[in-house]
Amino acid sequence: MSIEKTEELILNMGPQHPSMHGLFRMVVHLAGETVTNIEPKLGYLHRGMEKLAESRTYSQFIPYTDRLDYLASPHNNWAYVQTVEKLMGVEIPERAEYLRVIFGELARIASHQVCIASTALDMAGWSAWSYAFRDRERICDMYEMTAGSRLTVNIMRIGGMSAEPPEEFWPALQSFLDDTPEMLEEYYGIFFGNEIAMGRLKNVGILTKEMAENLSITGPVLRASGVDYDVRKAEPYSIYERFDFDVPVRTGCDSYDRTIIRMDEIVESIKIIKQAVRDIPGGPIMAKVPKVIKPPVGEVYHRVENPKGELGFYIVSDGTTKPTRLRIRPATFINLQMLPIVAKGWKIQDVVAIFATLDAVLGEVDK
Amino acid sequence: MENKVLSRYVDELASRVNGVVEESFGVLVLKVQATYIIEALTGAKNFPDVPCDFLHDLCGVDSGDHIEVVYQLSSLHGPQLMRVKATMDHENPVIDSATRIWEGANYLEREAYDMFGIKFKGHPNLKRIYMWDDFEGYPLRKDYVTEPIEVRNVVRTRIEGE
Repeated sequence: MSIEKTEELILNMGPQHPSMHGLFRMVVHLAGETVTNIEPKLGYLHRGMEKLAESRTYSQFIPYTDRLDYLASPHNNWAYVQTVEKLMGVEIPERAEYLRVIFGELARIASHQVCIASTALDMAGWSAWSYAFRDRERICDMYEMTAGSRLTVNIMRIGGMSAEPPEEFWPALQSFLDDTPEMLEEYYGIFFGNEIAMGRLKNVGILTKEMAENLSITGPVLRASGVDYDVRKAEPYSIYERFDFDVPVRTGCDSYDRTIIRMDEIVESIKIIKQAVRDIPGGPIMAKVPKVIKPPVGEVYHRVENPKGELGFYIVSDGTTKPTRLRIRPATFINLQMLPIVAKGWKIQDVVAIFATLDAVLGEVDK
Repeated sequence: MENKVLSRYVDELASRVNGVVEESFGVLVLKVQATYIIEALTGAKNFPDVPCDFLHDLCGVDSGDHIEVVYQLSSLHGPQLMRVKATMDHENPVIDSATRIWEGANYLEREAYDMFGIKFKGHPNLKRIYMWDDFEGYPLRKDYVTEPIEVRNVVRTRIEGE
């Protein structure tokens, strides 16, 4: 019996495409409808952040970090300012640490809501999208109250926080925390429990544990492949060792688990925020740091658990006001390497699902 | 405690690969020549008890007189961290690719090639990743002129004229 083969078809997806989450382009090689190879083409949003950092002072670079993973900007601020603080040996006030945790975890919830919403949207689930985005608005409102902006918040400073949350922030936060269980139930009802969503995501795009470890995958994608690893537990930074929370791990290795693990993480984030709100002390929110920031000569590497994976900053200082080298370790850029390997052999609509569950943000991928 | 064990292994490895061990902010840094890099990385990956078997990050650094590739190694099964630095010539930086040890080095090496012009021997697809294919120069090198092309040409002629 002869096997009929069709001519290889090359399909260009992106950079302007609703399911490409920004400006991402991939060249998909197809045999019929089956994917034989994918070549991701990056760089449409490349702004040369690392080069820009070399001509900015340490404080001037903080707003740039907002533009990395713009769906979780407090986290990027956090990673960067902590790296500089580590280099300078600055101790920051307790209240600032707690506020950082609160905003960091809020950012994690907001980011995961976008992931759930956009995955649903990529599966053509319009109504599921609107539910998650409706709830994310409330987090954006809380950002706005405190920092004045809704997306790129620029909320942290070297040595503390930029602003004290206003009076109305705390009731807004409390009502948000109270409403979350109901929200999650809604997401489950409309998206995760949906038969079509399950059909599109379950057992699609298997990333085994060994592959994930070999490909340097981090974050929820790694944990959905059955590896129990979270920087907040493995190398606790800030004040994470004071909180009682679990690291959700799933062993399905498929697209469904990569998405639903974010629901579990929202639950854990809520737990952390509740404890932080309970324990937050009074006091100043800025440490005494010099006006001109001049870290000593040396190099330091620091990483934090960004909602999408591990975000690291590596700074080489020569003792002047500007860094000699600032390296950003972007989580999703490295996670993206799994796409050509995992998507091989699947249909074109599965590639969209696999890419959606990676939760790539092109601001971070392209730097 | 953990660190002492790791420190002993790193010292042992350093004597095998002609390296120097330093410490920076509690992290052990192993400096080697580029020719020993595969041996150093495989050695670190296979440390007994405290394997540094997860390639966390890989990046280039231009330190003026030479180019370095910095590997941040960690593990998914313990808190151990270490940094390996490979130094090479500024004019013609060549190093063995780490993709045969970790597949995850693929994009990171392409980025280092794109930004510093470091050639990774044995890399499966060493092409520019962020910049377009016929882009000239390596942007993150210290000698790269950041002005726009027309201004850059003026600067170049001025430098050459002097």
